[in-house]
Amino acid sequence: MNPILEIKNLSIAFNQNEVIHNISYALNKNEILGIVGESGSGKSVSSLAILGLLPKKISKITNGSIIYRDENLTQLSSQPFQKIRGNKIAMIFQEPMSSLNPSMTCGKQVEEVLLQHTSLSKKQVKEETLSLFEKVKLPDPERVFKVYPHEISGGQKQRVMIAMAIACKPDVLIADEPTTALDVTVQNDIIKLLKALQVETKMSIIFITHDLALISEIADRVLVMYKGNIVEEGLVKNIFKSPKHSYTKALINSRPSLDTRLKVLPTIQDFLNDSISTEIVSKEQRKKNHDKLYNKAPLLEVLNVEKEYITKSGWFTKPQHFKAVNDVSFKLYEGETLGLVGESGCGKSTLGNAILQLDKATSGSILYNGIDITKLSKTETRRLRKDIQIIFQDPYSSLNPRIPVGEAIMEPMKVHKLYASDIERKEKVIDILKRVGLSEDYFNRYPHEFSGGQRQRIGIARTIALKPKLIVCDESVSALDISVQAQVLNLLNELKADFGFTYIFISHDLAVVKYMSDQLLVMNQGKIEELDDADIIYDSPKKEYTKKLIHAIPKGL
Amino acid sequence: MSHKSNSLKQLALQKFKKNFWGVFSFFFIVLIGFISIFAYVFAPDDSQYANQMHLAIHSKKPGYNVTMLTMPSKIKVKQNSFDKLFFGRKNTDTEIPISEYAIKDDVLVYKEYASDGLEGAEKTVELNIFPNNSPKDFIQEKTFLFGTDKYGRDLLSRVLVGARISFFIGFVAVLISLLIGIFMGSVSGYFGGKVDAVIMWIINVTWSIPTLLLVIAITLALGKGFWQVFIAVGLTMWVEVARVVRGQIISTKEMQYVTAARALGYNDFRIITKHILPNIMAPVIVISAANFAAAILIESGLSFLGIGAQPPMASWGAMIKDHYNYIILGKPYLAIIPGLCIMSLVMAFMLIGNALRDALDVKS
Repeated sequence: MNPILEIKNLSIAFNQNEVIHNISYALNKNEILGIVGESGSGKSVSSLAILGLLPKKISKITNGSIIYRDENLTQLSSQPFQKIRGNKIAMIFQEPMSSLNPSMTCGKQVEEVLLQHTSLSKKQVKEETLSLFEKVKLPDPERVFKVYPHEISGGQKQRVMIAMAIACKPDVLIADEPTTALDVTVQNDIIKLLKALQVETKMSIIFITHDLALISEIADRVLVMYKGNIVEEGLVKNIFKSPKHSYTKALINSRPSLDTRLKVLPTIQDFLNDSISTEIVSKEQRKKNHDKLYNKAPLLEVLNVEKEYITKSGWFTKPQHFKAVNDVSFKLYEGETLGLVGESGCGKSTLGNAILQLDKATSGSILYNGIDITKLSKTETRRLRKDIQIIFQDPYSSLNPRIPVGEAIMEPMKVHKLYASDIERKEKVIDILKRVGLSEDYFNRYPHEFSGGQRQRIGIARTIALKPKLIVCDESVSALDISVQAQVLNLLNELKADFGFTYIFISHDLAVVKYMSDQLLVMNQGKIEELDDADIIYDSPKKEYTKKLIHAIPKGL
Repeated sequence: MSHKSNSLKQLALQKFKKNFWGVFSFFFIVLIGFISIFAYVFAPDDSQYANQMHLAIHSKKPGYNVTMLTMPSKIKVKQNSFDKLFFGRKNTDTEIPISEYAIKDDVLVYKEYASDGLEGAEKTVELNIFPNNSPKDFIQEKTFLFGTDKYGRDLLSRVLVGARISFFIGFVAVLISLLIGIFMGSVSGYFGGKVDAVIMWIINVTWSIPTLLLVIAITLALGKGFWQVFIAVGLTMWVEVARVVRGQIISTKEMQYVTAARALGYNDFRIITKHILPNIMAPVIVISAANFAAAILIESGLSFLGIGAQPPMASWGAMIKDHYNYIILGKPYLAIIPGLCIMSLVMAFMLIGNALRDALDVKS
């Protein structure tokens, strides 16, 4: 079979710094090619190069060619490129929220593509747009045609984006992490849609993602990229069943499995050193541990907590209320990990913030060691902060860019007057840095000199500097690559064993939450859907919503 | 811990150093600052406010040359050297431009200088008023590099001394505007709600009054004089700073490191001063450079209108005011020289502002 798109010996450099090293691959007609890799592996850069969308000033294709239908795209000037871009080769981006123009109606934006690339009349364009909306299974296409992007949900926006991309019946569709920003259930729908569209139109799709399990559900063939190289290439089955490169093995295995619970998750380093531990936490061990945990009095008791927001308020209209957290009660025991899952907007982070007293709950009470912390004064709350801490989602924005990390970790100690002198504090900081796997050389460095995983470690170090009892992990590993995620999860578990922390682990990722937690709390629209032992919920979900959620997780092969 | 780390500040500094116009403007401003502080050292006429008048030789061209007779005054002024260095010599000597002179017996006969081909009056003075009876040291050739103004004062000296006002009004006005602006802006941005509404209301009201009118009103209330102008300009400029700070704080306080700081139990003062303000300094610095330039322009405008620095104090704006009608009389340099000074100083601040904006922009 003749490939429709062929990439030969492609190298790309950013400011003399080569990021893609001599890669070659081909895309056949009528196939879905998956490209997997972590952030910085060059998977997005190589696909942007196909469309000629690399930032011109700082990047350069230093070597190689991209051949589409006997035409070398690297040599093409911008005028003829526009005929190909969007018309023959189209792209779907990661963020549906920001890739649609907020000041144009959805219909207009799709029409624009058609007007640009086809010679249809205005009336035909509108008909075509509506049929496209039907094709991507948007509910009520007539309505979506007239509304602005903010009036539809994230999944629907991504459907509009797909409609836009397939408007000109492209030969090649590049989907760059099209579902990463979406909930699992929505992700599932979009994947199904893309597959159906591919079968119908017989176009070729390049599907880029960091999630191997996801790619196994959609792609025919997979490329694994690592640090600008293609390390492995082959059919999905072969890659999954018998991965050859140790990086691929690590990628497949670092993600917590849904069936067994490993004591320590394997990391890339383990695979490179061939030192994988396969110790499993057995059901009996878990049970024994739980019996011990639940015998004590609860550390935290959440009673009928509600959080209300005013969504609309005007001078003459009655304010409308929206309950982000609706009548939630649960108990948390010392030393346990409570998993909190739900899709975006279900109120899980709001609940976390209420426990942390960052956002006061509207009603209900939160008892910490028997004291209602919702009624504390400002200074008492500040003292309480020492006991209840948080680890944030985004390692890039959770550290002040102008304070060296050592000082950042030392500051909470100073504020809460822990330890006698600065010298003692500094020693402690170095201890903590070492504890989270960083060297003491890092004391005077600034956050921008670290990678995402390292920053998350620094964030954790700052959190544990206060020796808290309860830590809320709000999507703490969601922004991290899978291999780094495994390291951070291992670290969290080690710290828990060492210091006896209690975690509330908030995440949208059921697999991660299941691996971490003792109890699992499933939230939906502000309410508790189900609350039980994590294994029990996963094995025999009672509610329809939980079933749907578990079913939607990409399982891999 | 020997690792030398690059803070964002250092990175910005490195970037700034590469910008030619930025560095050039910086040194230009430093030079002007130095000159304005030591104005009386450099000025040919180091009398207080460079106010030595010679009406006979008023409004002469740059590079004008004349013989000058200094009549020592009998009044001895006591003045310490520090005062003399920074505020000029309190001078009671009279200077008389002369065209010719001769010593006859005990008297000095001289002919006063007169321009436009007129004959000056011949006068005599007894030699014993000069020390050692020798007037040699008191009769000298004098060159006016920038010419003389309409009172016959040395224009170069007045430009040098006038630099002080322009320079210091920049400093004082920007300082006042920063103090008020950052305080108001951070309080309103950080706390939001009713506090924000009240402060925004004050800001909007202050902003709706035309700047010049407000300064005039403040100077009228506080009295005329250059300190009043300093304060008045500062009081009008804080609104811009406050608005910028408020906007920046509103977006920065959503950053996770601010939430982290709250979760770690820091108090509001610490969060604002240690975690928010250092991160929003970039736009504040840029707007301060622009304010510096604007303050200089407002001051010269006020001096031009006659409510700025009062005579005999030298100020660039006032110098233009004194001489703008000479522009059509064929002596434009009297107004153009201080005009060019204002322009180059303002321009230097603008360029430095641009360079800082580029350097502090982390994105590129």
